Amino acid sequence: MEKNKKNKSIFIIFNKQLYKIKAIKLAIKEYQNLANFSFKQKENYIYVKLENIDKEVKKIIKDEFCNYVLFLMKF
Amino acid sequence: MKIKDNTLKFSFNLKDYPLEALHGAAYVFIDRAYLFLDNKSPKKIEVSLKGKKKLNKKQLEDLKGEFLNELLNYTVRVNLSKSNKKTREYIISQALFSAFGDYDINKEDEIKYEEDPLGIAIPWEDKHGKKQKK
Repeated sequence: MEKNKKNKSIFIIFNKQLYKIKAIKLAIKEYQNLANFSFKQKENYIYVKLENIDKEVKKIIKDEFCNYVLFLMKF
Repeated sequence: MKIKDNTLKFSFNLKDYPLEALHGAAYVFIDRAYLFLDNKSPKKIEVSLKGKKKLNKKQLEDLKGEFLNELLNYTVRVNLSKSNKKTREYIISQALFSAFGDYDINKEDEIKYEEDPLGIAIPWEDKHGKKQKK
């Protein structure tokens, strides 16, 4: 996980071996009112980019989003 | 094992634990910590445990210990589930078979005697012709 301070956007890199694309897509759907999401798949990773993040959740959105993806992995 | 910014990172070999167990253990901890999984090599998994509240080194290490215990717990459950799979399937199939078996018996009972599917009510003469006189 790395944070792009210049563009005030956050990148989260999920490993395909550990996370299902379906869970990530569902999590994006649930979180789309808090930020603008975009994602791409490359080799063994799924890159998720968060932009225009809601100020109130800026500090926790990355961690909460990752936890929510893990929660969705159960289904 | 690394501790930085309220986060503890540690890695273990995925060969020792099934992936399902890792997801199960992570699921148990999502209300207490922020978790992130990554693999540095195909068989080595790195887990990041970040406390939702500010935690000191000892508390983070305790959290790691509890996570590993939960991982073991899930590993046993997954292995047990795999070894009992055939027995479970057999019990369920037997239960379903019995249920359908009863249904067939009840269906047979529903046939009325007037229908006479075995031809019992047909008189001998009608079936084999009239009796010849000697």
